Amino acid sequence: MNSDSSQPPPVPADRPENTLFRQWSGPLTSDLVRTPGAFGLGQVPARLKPDAVTTAVCGYCSTGCGLNIHLKNGEAINVSADPNYPVNLGMACPKGWEVLTPLDSPDRATTPLLRNPTTGRMEPVSWSVAMDIFVTRMRGVQERHGLHSIAYLSTGQICTEEMALLGALFKFGMGGLHGDSNTRQCMATAHVAYKQSFGFDAPPYSYADFEESDVLVFVGANPCIAHPILWQRVLRNPHHPEIIVLDPRRTETAVNATLHLALAPKSDLTLLYGIAAALISRGALDRSFIEAHTEGFEAFATFVAEFTPERACAAARITRADFDRCVELIARGRRVSFWWTMGVNQGHESTRTAQALINLALMTGNIGRPGTGANSITGQCNAMGSRLYANATSLLGGRDFVDANHRQQVATALNMDPALVPDRPSWAYDQIIDGIESGAIRGLWVIATNSSHSWIDGGRFDRLLDKLDFLVVQDLYHTTDTAKRADLILPAAGWGEKEGTLINSERRIGRVKKVRRAPGVALSDFAIFQLIAAAWGRGPQFAEWSSPEAAFQILKRLSAGQPCDITGIQDYQHIDRCGGIQWPWKTPTVDTSTRTTPSDPAVERRLFEDGQFHTPNGRARFLYDPPRPVAEPTDDAYPFVLLTGRGSSAQWHTNTRTAKSAILRKLYPTEAYVEVHPDDARRLGIQAHGKVSVTSRRGTLEVNAFITRTVQPGQVFLPMHYDGVNRLTAGSFDPHSRQPSYKFCAVRIAPAGRS
Amino acid sequence: MIPPHLPTPAGESVDTLIDTLLAEQRRLTAVDSFSRRHDSEVPLLERHYRDLIPLTAPRPGEQYAFEVDLDRCSGCKGCVTACHALNGLDDDESWRDVGVLFGETVIPRAAGSAPGNQVLSVQRTVTTACHHCVEPACLLGCPVLAYEKDPSTGIVRHLDDQCIGCSYCVMKCPYEVPRYSARRGIVRKCDLCHGRLAEGEAPACVQACPNEAIRVTTVSTAWVRVEFRTPSKPGKWLPDSPDPSITLPTTRYITRAPEATLRAADHSQPKPQPAHWPLILLLVGTQAGIGGLALAAGMAWTRGTPGSNSDAGIFRLAVIAMAFLAAGLAGSVAHLGQPRKAWRVWLGWRTSWLSREAIALNAFAGAAATAAALIGLRTFPYWILSETPVGRSLIQLPPALWSIPLWGLAVAAVFAQTRVYSDTGRWCWRDAVTAPRFFGTMISLGCWLGLVLLGPISALLQSALLTGVIVANGIKLALELRAASGAGGSDLHPDESRRTVEFLSGTFRIPHAIRLLIGGLAGIVVPLGMLTGQGPAVTDASGSALVPMMALVCLGGEILERWLFFRTASPNRMPGMP
Repeated sequence: MNSDSSQPPPVPADRPENTLFRQWSGPLTSDLVRTPGAFGLGQVPARLKPDAVTTAVCGYCSTGCGLNIHLKNGEAINVSADPNYPVNLGMACPKGWEVLTPLDSPDRATTPLLRNPTTGRMEPVSWSVAMDIFVTRMRGVQERHGLHSIAYLSTGQICTEEMALLGALFKFGMGGLHGDSNTRQCMATAHVAYKQSFGFDAPPYSYADFEESDVLVFVGANPCIAHPILWQRVLRNPHHPEIIVLDPRRTETAVNATLHLALAPKSDLTLLYGIAAALISRGALDRSFIEAHTEGFEAFATFVAEFTPERACAAARITRADFDRCVELIARGRRVSFWWTMGVNQGHESTRTAQALINLALMTGNIGRPGTGANSITGQCNAMGSRLYANATSLLGGRDFVDANHRQQVATALNMDPALVPDRPSWAYDQIIDGIESGAIRGLWVIATNSSHSWIDGGRFDRLLDKLDFLVVQDLYHTTDTAKRADLILPAAGWGEKEGTLINSERRIGRVKKVRRAPGVALSDFAIFQLIAAAWGRGPQFAEWSSPEAAFQILKRLSAGQPCDITGIQDYQHIDRCGGIQWPWKTPTVDTSTRTTPSDPAVERRLFEDGQFHTPNGRARFLYDPPRPVAEPTDDAYPFVLLTGRGSSAQWHTNTRTAKSAILRKLYPTEAYVEVHPDDARRLGIQAHGKVSVTSRRGTLEVNAFITRTVQPGQVFLPMHYDGVNRLTAGSFDPHSRQPSYKFCAVRIAPAGRS
Repeated sequence: MIPPHLPTPAGESVDTLIDTLLAEQRRLTAVDSFSRRHDSEVPLLERHYRDLIPLTAPRPGEQYAFEVDLDRCSGCKGCVTACHALNGLDDDESWRDVGVLFGETVIPRAAGSAPGNQVLSVQRTVTTACHHCVEPACLLGCPVLAYEKDPSTGIVRHLDDQCIGCSYCVMKCPYEVPRYSARRGIVRKCDLCHGRLAEGEAPACVQACPNEAIRVTTVSTAWVRVEFRTPSKPGKWLPDSPDPSITLPTTRYITRAPEATLRAADHSQPKPQPAHWPLILLLVGTQAGIGGLALAAGMAWTRGTPGSNSDAGIFRLAVIAMAFLAAGLAGSVAHLGQPRKAWRVWLGWRTSWLSREAIALNAFAGAAATAAALIGLRTFPYWILSETPVGRSLIQLPPALWSIPLWGLAVAAVFAQTRVYSDTGRWCWRDAVTAPRFFGTMISLGCWLGLVLLGPISALLQSALLTGVIVANGIKLALELRAASGAGGSDLHPDESRRTVEFLSGTFRIPHAIRLLIGGLAGIVVPLGMLTGQGPAVTDASGSALVPMMALVCLGGEILERWLFFRTASPNRMPGMP
């Protein structure tokens, strides 16, 4: 029922009547007429006037912006940023504004596809057949090679309920052990660093802290581009804060900083120890906090003593003046916050680097107060959900597989036999890949990630896929590099086509809603997992997981007694009403005398205000190790350091979704480019915008040269979104978090045609 | 490894579940359970943008304008997508664009530290939309009055239903603001969200900027004029961008960055421009036709015996030249997005050289058709009409009476064509370059048409026509060589001049070389041989085959010249991306 066609086209009110010679109105003009949109939206395009509006959090990055979804007949027709949402206050980056467009792409997977062994082509099959193939072949692999010979690689891009069901089904239902997700590439380091230092993976901050600091230290973080809405919060800071940026590149954020330390790549740990030593020798410490709430400081002080300013400056190749100024600012600051992202997380000793920042916050007492904290800015929209509920290397609810009590707690919450819970964690992503190489893993299930593009040393990954007996890819699109290799493709519904929750960087649980119909017979990941549970014969075991909202109630139960306790959140409506709810939120005690409803949580809450951490003795730990050399230092044959990272705010990771939007494609260079310093370009005869080959020991990539001083001599930068970038990167991993080091490998560059 | 025959489907319970889940997947529930039911007419963002738009409407002598604080912009580009979503634009349509300026700051090192200064890179993202110029080139160039500048707000608005889709505004606007939509057959552009401003709402881009880097202000148009049109003090606008004196843009860009060093990220990456094939056809076709018809009109002065061979040749020339003219005019209509509205093309005659070109061309075509008919009467005197008194008097009409106005219209038409391009303000299309090119084409191809079609002609006329070819091509090729060498590149337009040189010696070096070869050979060397008697004479058997051949080659050379004219015309643009 569409009544619109009968209505006359809207006529602009302020235009004269048409004459023979001039037409002020007509069908073409009416296409652009705007009209009050109601619902607090202001004017909207008349042809896209909503009849209802709902809200949802964006499904790209961990900022977790609230979006107004403009609905017509129940279906999303447009999107705008939600002014009432506490995260983004009515703003959004280009990805958020364009969040609906990738759903309409013609290359959506609309039906299960099975590879015909004769022709090698993918052919449509029914869900019934697809499920049968899935179960038969995965079971076949298990029968031939053991229960643990199947593995999954999942994502930080699906809802928490979906991750939890996947993890529970795979480990407690299918008998699998090894599953990991692309959050390994993104947040594993922060997860491990917090867990070791604080006793629980608990990012302590709230976004309000951006506005309350007087000194902000960004390490390996470029929020201007990677988290523009968080930079908005920085600009709202009324205290004229000092902004210190530690980054080898002169990023957009570095340009806007008050002090940029362009440290040598992967000299961060040495430099941070040097800063700690300098603060100690200045006596710029919060002794009472250290004594009351931490352990291991004295040993740490002894350890860092040898990191003299001279040593730190030499390693980082920065001036002593800049070093001293950095120390001075941190020492003098009353509310100092430390923020890090992938520049820290994606390193070969990243856990200790993150902990070096945590140590700085602890020793200066910059934690648990407004505008302070050692704060990891997460990457993906639900990396935080994955950290708590993926059931991969941590047991559901931020628990440990090796802890019998934890296994019992989970078994009780899920009403099942504790023997079903494995007593050891999964292999990490890189170990699963190694397992494929060794033949230990024969069946692989890839969910909403494009490993062929994103995994480090991608050439090796692609070669190893040939060794698999069975590869299943569950994705929105049948065209991703990984999906093209699949034996079976399961078509998934995307963000906006399903229900669930996401958890953002500041621990805020927000809602995703079904405001679009998925194409063809695509199903939500949750429904696909339900189907697989049934087809595997585990339907009854997962009967309670009947819907995402039912699953959310299970998640609440699993959180009980944990630092991430969310038993106080009633249901989805409650999350909606509060504009998202940060964990923890325990069941508040009901006032029995007045029988009043317990109040909703405060909008912005930070952790550790009482100085109590989650370690057994309640004290945060100082953790450190001597810096180690990188896995692949530069040499005469490969004299350049390759840095990779985000190219623009309009591109998301492998560009699988963002490349579907014509308007987003206008916001970044369509062809891959490499940033080269003018001195290097001159020396090597590289022309501006000419073709350059970038070669590592693993591969070559031909890209355009962008000659700029954003990189230092001897370094080149490739945005990670373009195909082939990870054919160059070298697989080296942090020993604690097993996160890959995307920020350092050795390459050589030359004008294309000469190498 | 998958068996070729598919296994039996999963059990019945799974099939039931599939049906249930698919049904559930199609059910949209957000409205029932969570839609916001309050119906607030007040925009919730009002508190955010209250200070970013003027409190009052512009006073007389003022207008609305964008103001962009480059130092506040973090480069998120949300403005582009917000404009797209909140204005309901087409999938690939943007009214706002972003580019990047890169520069350097030199920081002297503190005493005692490493020697030398530290050079740091600076970058600024430039967001750009319509500048709602004081003298909008789009409006002034539009042949159908499809633009209007609101007298009270100064907002330059496009009348979508008035537009004929000629895209001349796209060429006229130095900022590439109007964008042609092939699907719609019209251009569209930013309207500064006039309706929002009228209601006290901020434009979409202003609403959406997280960093409050874009605001709307009121500016004095007189101030803009003084700022950008004072010859002694070239006004600063935005580094590495179009010359603001052309249209007097009202947007203000603010930065504390050292502007002198700022360069667009795509500074040294010239973007080849579209070829505009219909325009190539229009220009070369009409210019050849005009040249041929002007020559035919001149030949009519020779007054041979009615029905003589020479009259037949003149008529042949007139008819074929008319065909060239008609093909060119057809090209001009064919490239319109809304050809049915083409009749309005004269409306903009007060300011638009395109209107004037259309008027002159159509007047010329009318006059030329009359002239061709009169020549035809002389050629075929036994026509019934020529037996009548009217016919006889028409035949006897002195040629001066109609050929002189025809020549006048010919010059007017080609002059208007020249102005159409030079009026864009592009250095490489300035009058001094474009006029010799266009008139040169007219003369060269007109003379060739004469040589091919007139039949046996006197040695003197033959020499005159060959000389015409040689001189026209000589001047044209000299100018093209000069442009390719960079000589004559004005100090005021070093970048445009440089880009032309780069195109002609780089991307387009092969077409350019072919063009020079063709022009030199068929336009100068061979005709010179014919003229001096070194080569085959025009009337020789070999010469008679050579002449049409050379004429065709020269036509090809003119088409190639015009293709390069469009492809290499790279004006200063707003900063782009790497």
